[in-house]
Amino acid sequence: MSEQQPEDRKTGGASLSTEGVPSAEALAAAGAIDDVAPSAYRSDLPGPLGWIDNGIARLEGFLLAAGVLLMAGNSVANVIGRYFLGQSIQFTEEVNQILIILITFAGISYAARHGRHIRMTAFFDMMPGRMRKLLMIVIALVTAGFMFALAWYSWGFMMTQLSRGRVLPSLQIPVWMTVVWVPVGFFMTGLQYLLTTIKNIIAPDIYLSTSVLEGYADDEQEV
Amino acid sequence: MAVTILSIMIILLCLGFPMMIPLIAAAGVGFYTMFGGFGQMETMIQQFMAGIRPAALIAVPMFIFAADIMTRGQSAQRLIDLVMSFVGHKRGGLAISTAAACTMFGAVSGSTQATVVAIGGPLRPRMLDAGYKDSFTLALIINASDIAFLIPPSIGMIIYGVISNTSIAELFIAGIGPGLLILLLFSIYCWIYAVRMGVPTEPVTPWPDRMRAVARALWPMGFPVIIIGGIYGGIFSPTEAAAACVLYALILEMIVFRTIDLKTLVATARSTGLITAVVFILVGAGAAFSWVISFAQVPQEVLGAIGIDEMGPIGVLFVISIAFFIGCMFVDPIVVILVLVPIFAPVVDAVGLDPVHVGTIIVLQVAIGSATPPFGCDIFTAIAVFKRPYADVVRGTPPFILILLSVSVLLIFFPQIALFLRDLAFR
Repeated sequence: MSEQQPEDRKTGGASLSTEGVPSAEALAAAGAIDDVAPSAYRSDLPGPLGWIDNGIARLEGFLLAAGVLLMAGNSVANVIGRYFLGQSIQFTEEVNQILIILITFAGISYAARHGRHIRMTAFFDMMPGRMRKLLMIVIALVTAGFMFALAWYSWGFMMTQLSRGRVLPSLQIPVWMTVVWVPVGFFMTGLQYLLTTIKNIIAPDIYLSTSVLEGYADDEQEV
Repeated sequence: MAVTILSIMIILLCLGFPMMIPLIAAAGVGFYTMFGGFGQMETMIQQFMAGIRPAALIAVPMFIFAADIMTRGQSAQRLIDLVMSFVGHKRGGLAISTAAACTMFGAVSGSTQATVVAIGGPLRPRMLDAGYKDSFTLALIINASDIAFLIPPSIGMIIYGVISNTSIAELFIAGIGPGLLILLLFSIYCWIYAVRMGVPTEPVTPWPDRMRAVARALWPMGFPVIIIGGIYGGIFSPTEAAAACVLYALILEMIVFRTIDLKTLVATARSTGLITAVVFILVGAGAAFSWVISFAQVPQEVLGAIGIDEMGPIGVLFVISIAFFIGCMFVDPIVVILVLVPIFAPVVDAVGLDPVHVGTIIVLQVAIGSATPPFGCDIFTAIAVFKRPYADVVRGTPPFILILLSVSVLLIFFPQIALFLRDLAFR
C-alpha cells in the first residue's frame, strides 16, 4: 500500500477526478479548518511589549495544541484500557475536565487575537463604513469591559475555591488550580479587545482584532 | 424581566457583538436584577463552569479533532469516488452523487460547513461541466450538507443532549432515519431536474473500477462502523466512540496513508482547540443564561404569553419548529440551541413529548435554518468558498427548502421516521 502513496498524494488520491480538491485556504475561509499558526502572528505593540505579546501568542497556541493532544491521548488510552486491557483509567474524566477548561480559556484569548469569535454580521455589513468603524470601536470596548468584569468575578470564584481547599477525588489536585486559567483567560481576552479598540481608533481601517482586517478577503477572485 | 433580558440579547446580537456577549450580558442582567446587585456574580461563574464540565461534552472536541484530521486527508475524495462509480451514470447521477457523498461525509464530520468545502469543493466544477446550472449546484451543495448535521456524529445533538439531559446515543441513532429520507427526496428532485433540463449522463463505470473504488473507500467507511455500530451495539458511549474515532483517524492518516506528519498534527490540534474554545465559551455562557432564565421562570412567562398550554403536543412541536427555524436564519445553530432549548424544556416536559423526538426535530430545523436566506451560516460559507455573490448562492434554494420543510412536517406527524431505529436499538 505504501509504495503507491507518493503518486496518490500528487493526484489527491482520486481515480476519477483530481480537480478542485479544496485548498487549505478555502477550508480556512469556511472556518472548517484553521491554520492560524502563532508564528504567523506579529504583534503591533512597540518594543519589549511586542515581544511579550508575541510570546503570549505562542504560549496560547502551544497550550491549545497540547490541551487537545493530551485530551486525545487520555481519552484514547481510556478506551484502549477499557476494551483491550479490561481496566478503565479512573482519573480520565478529571483530566479531561482540567484540559477542557485550559483549552477553552487559552482559546478564547487566541480566538480574540485572530478575530475568530463568531458574530452575526448581517446588519453590521449593511452599514456604511464610518458607522461600522464607530460601532466596531464600541463593540471592542464593551466586549473588553465584559471580559475584565468576568476576569474579576472569576478571580473571586477561584479564591473561594482556594479558601474551601477542596481537592479532585481521584487526582487529589486542589480544585482552585484547575480554574486558574479562567481569570487569566478572561483577562487576556479583555486585553485583546482593548488593544483592538485602540487599533481601530488610531488606524484608518476597521479591525476585527489587532492583526485581522474586517470583511471578506479577496472576494473578487474567480475560482 | 423576560422582556428586558431577551431584548438586550437581541439588540447586542444584531449590532454584531461577538456572540458570547449577548449571552453573558443577558445572564449578567438576570443575575443583577434577581439578586439586587452584583453579589451573586460568582454564582454566574460557577454556572459557567458547570456548563462546560459535563463529561459527555468531551465528545465535541474529539469528534472535531477526528474530522479535522480526516478533512485534511483523502477521505472525502475516496467517498466521492465510491458514490460516483455506482450512481454517476444514472440520470442526474452527478447531482445524486453529490447529495449521497454529503450524507456519507456526514458520518465522518459533524459540521455542515466542512461538508460544503470537502464535498462541494471537488464536485461543483464537475457538475458545472456536465451542464447543471450553477444556482442548482450551489443550492444542492449547501442543502445536502445539512444532512451531515443529522447523521452522527452531530455536534448539535451532543449539545442538545447535554443541556436537555437526553441520551446522546439515542439522539445519534434517531438522526439517521430523517437524514436518509432527505437524501432520498433530494435524489428524486435531482432526477426530475436532470430529466427536465436534459442533462447528459456520465459514462458507466466498469465493475473492476467499482471494486477498486469500494476498496479505497473502505478505510473512511470505518467511521460509521465505529460510531453507529459501536453505539448501536452498546459497545461505546458517544464519548468513547469519539475517542475511538480519533485513534482511527490517526492510524489512517499518519500510518496508513501518511498524509499527515507530526507538524500538521500539531497544527490540526491547535485548530481543533480554537474551534472548541469558541464553541465552549458559548456553551458556558449559555449555561449561565439558562440557569438564570429558569430560575426567574422566564420560559413560563414567554410561552404563557403565546398560549402554549392549550396547544397540545402537535401544536407545541410546530411552535418549536418555527422558533428554531427562524432563529437559525439569523444566528449560529449552536447559539440557537443554547438559548431556545432551556426556554422550551418545561413545556416539552409538561406535554409529555419524547425528548429524543424533539431533539431530532430541533436538529433538523437548525440544519434547515442554516441553509435558509437571509442569513443562514452555510450560505456565507458557500460565498466564501466558491466566491460567488449572495444572489447566485440563494437563487436555487427554494425547492430544497420546500423538501426539507415537508420532511419536518412529516417528522412531526410520524415520529417513527426518527424513533424507529432508536426503538430497534434501545427498546
